[in-house]
Amino acid sequence: MQAGPVRSICIVGGGTAGWLTAGILAARHGAGSGLQITLVESETIGIVGVGEGTWPTMRSTLKKMGISETEFFRECNASFKHGAKFARWVSGRESDFYYHPLMLPEGFPSLDLAPHWMKYSEAHRDAPSFSNAVCFQEALCESGLAPKLITTPEYAGVANYAYHLDAGRFAAFLRDHCVGKLGVRHLVDEVTEVIKSGDHLDAVQTAKSGRLGADLFVDASGFRSLLLGAALDVPFVDRSDVLFIDRALAMQVPYEDPQSPITPYTVSTAQKHGWIWDIGLQSRRGVGYVFSSRHTTTDAALTELRAYVGERHRDLQPREIKIPCGHRQTYWKGNCVAVGLSAGFLEPLESSALVLIELSAELLSTMLPATRETLTILAKRFNQVTQYRWERIIDFLKLHCLLSRRTDSNFWIDNRDPASIPESLKEQLALWRHRAPGDADFTSNCEMFPAASYQYVLFGMGFRMDTRQQAPERQLGEAQRAFAQNEALKARWTRTLPTNRELLGKIKEHGLQKI
Amino acid sequence: MRLVELSRSEHSGVRIRADRAEATAATQHLIPIVVSEFRKAAIQYPIVFAKHPDTGRFAPYVLSGLGVEENLFWSGTELDVTYVPLNVRRQPFYVGTGDAGAASVLCIDLDSPCLDASGTQRIVAADGSDSAYLKEMLAILSELVAGRVATEQFVTTVLRLDLLAPITLDIVLDDRTPLQIHGLYQLDEEKFRQLDAGELAKLWTRGYLDLLYALMISSGQIFRLIRLKNQRIALTRAWHA
Repeated sequence: MQAGPVRSICIVGGGTAGWLTAGILAARHGAGSGLQITLVESETIGIVGVGEGTWPTMRSTLKKMGISETEFFRECNASFKHGAKFARWVSGRESDFYYHPLMLPEGFPSLDLAPHWMKYSEAHRDAPSFSNAVCFQEALCESGLAPKLITTPEYAGVANYAYHLDAGRFAAFLRDHCVGKLGVRHLVDEVTEVIKSGDHLDAVQTAKSGRLGADLFVDASGFRSLLLGAALDVPFVDRSDVLFIDRALAMQVPYEDPQSPITPYTVSTAQKHGWIWDIGLQSRRGVGYVFSSRHTTTDAALTELRAYVGERHRDLQPREIKIPCGHRQTYWKGNCVAVGLSAGFLEPLESSALVLIELSAELLSTMLPATRETLTILAKRFNQVTQYRWERIIDFLKLHCLLSRRTDSNFWIDNRDPASIPESLKEQLALWRHRAPGDADFTSNCEMFPAASYQYVLFGMGFRMDTRQQAPERQLGEAQRAFAQNEALKARWTRTLPTNRELLGKIKEHGLQKI
Repeated sequence: MRLVELSRSEHSGVRIRADRAEATAATQHLIPIVVSEFRKAAIQYPIVFAKHPDTGRFAPYVLSGLGVEENLFWSGTELDVTYVPLNVRRQPFYVGTGDAGAASVLCIDLDSPCLDASGTQRIVAADGSDSAYLKEMLAILSELVAGRVATEQFVTTVLRLDLLAPITLDIVLDDRTPLQIHGLYQLDEEKFRQLDAGELAKLWTRGYLDLLYALMISSGQIFRLIRLKNQRIALTRAWHA
């Protein structure tokens, strides 16, 4: 290995992982910094492209890349997302649902409404759900409203929001931006061989463009993990002992008519052996059943999926995808960083795929400029942070599964087996029997989910905590004002905000202003 | 508002009080203007930009009040100003699109307070031709119609160059209430000064440089509004004293 600064980065793979990484790196270390970014993608290998739900982080990611939000909506079939609705997760009954909105509870974190809400709900049978009592976003969701007005500037919101998008179109959109505006070099070619010396990648051999050398390589090659997995032998760590889902049946469902409402949140409906995602884009829905192949067969799963989408769509053929649950043992080895599916995959319950790409690319980006001598130090830090993030996502996903009281299959019963629950999560749950999740339970500066997210899931799923020593009388006035403020926000914004489809139509016609 | 197509025969008996046109602006704090009015408006009002609530598109307005539905220039009987915007003077006439859609037609607002039996203006002269009054109104309307396109083009250029910024004010009125302004935008002078010579030459050629300087000068008129507002506060106090 030669000494000196990292001057060139070669990204292998052109799905959303590759292009997001290219865009994030180029926006920060673009023209003038002396960093050359090349992305090579295969013409013959398609993208998996089921990552269609984002986090609110995508707004700042796109903004930093200099992308117009209007163009993004126009080109990527994108729509607004307020968060997620979890249906039939607790009892399995038709009426059973809760929300995980994207906004913090009113007053949080200086005021914690959770114990006040719980005391009230213990005393009143008709008490509102936790998310509805503390956050106005559920009301917007139930009315199908957008999170902003046509007069709200790009990337700003009345309510915090994320996106639903068409992953295929998104990758192409990012590609055009990266190549046209950010100076990323783009090669369409097949990687035929990876050339390395020890743990150091020297180059990738391509069919037409010859040998592509670089100081740093990004493996965005998808499940194949061509560089980190195949060439550098970093093993895959199977996590299906915790999370059982390993298959997906995905389909694209057309709307009844072009003016059908677009649901402004992801719907996740629990099934017998897993759950179904339902994501509303402008021109279609993306629907898929993720299930555990250890608990059911593809045919049985298909029957459940067909029952969900309805008789009308009986001719739609699903795509079956094997989704190995787990991640690489390390994410950075030598001079190679894996981003996206090549780093790992978890069921898409909390849209963690795209956000992990953003976070990994962002982390890599903040580590530059770097020299080749310091790569080992950076790799160590990158691996620590990334491993922590994967563990927190696994904990959080498991939380949804273990709190379910469904007994209609071994899938749900097995999910409550203590042997399948990570120690870190067991510890948290033991503490939360006595008090609500708070910021003190999450002490890293690389946390994935805030304490508020845990509150939404715990109390949405009927988790009980001992409130005897909580919700002091002296706080009652403050709590009542916060609950009232939430009601006022609900009344104001359900009156004012347009529907999701209406606003998307206006954005197509008039565009959003930058200011 | 009840707009109908103006008919020289059917509406020949209509009498109009032109002096009431200004009264229609008594409760308007924002009055839309076109670029051809910028220089005249700048000596009286701050010229600001605001977004249309239905489309989010920017358009220029004169600011005549500091609160919703407040016109600080309204004396009770007239607008105490040196320049009355075309959109006020054109009352009660409008340009609408006919049933066919293509051609624009002249309309009159039958609900306008300008329509009154005591009015001295008529739309047709004794000989049946258009009255001098109607000719003046037609000239105003044609300036507005032509101005709409020119104004949109100017706004597009201003936005392309990122020359607008939200108005921020840190002012406390005499009754100790802080003055809050939301949703109004003005020229970002710093960005304007950063434009390169090539861009400035283009603005000059299109006549936009004059407009931008008019915007810049007009921004100081906000202090006139603040003074008028404080005078009103003093008057109200005296009334209640």
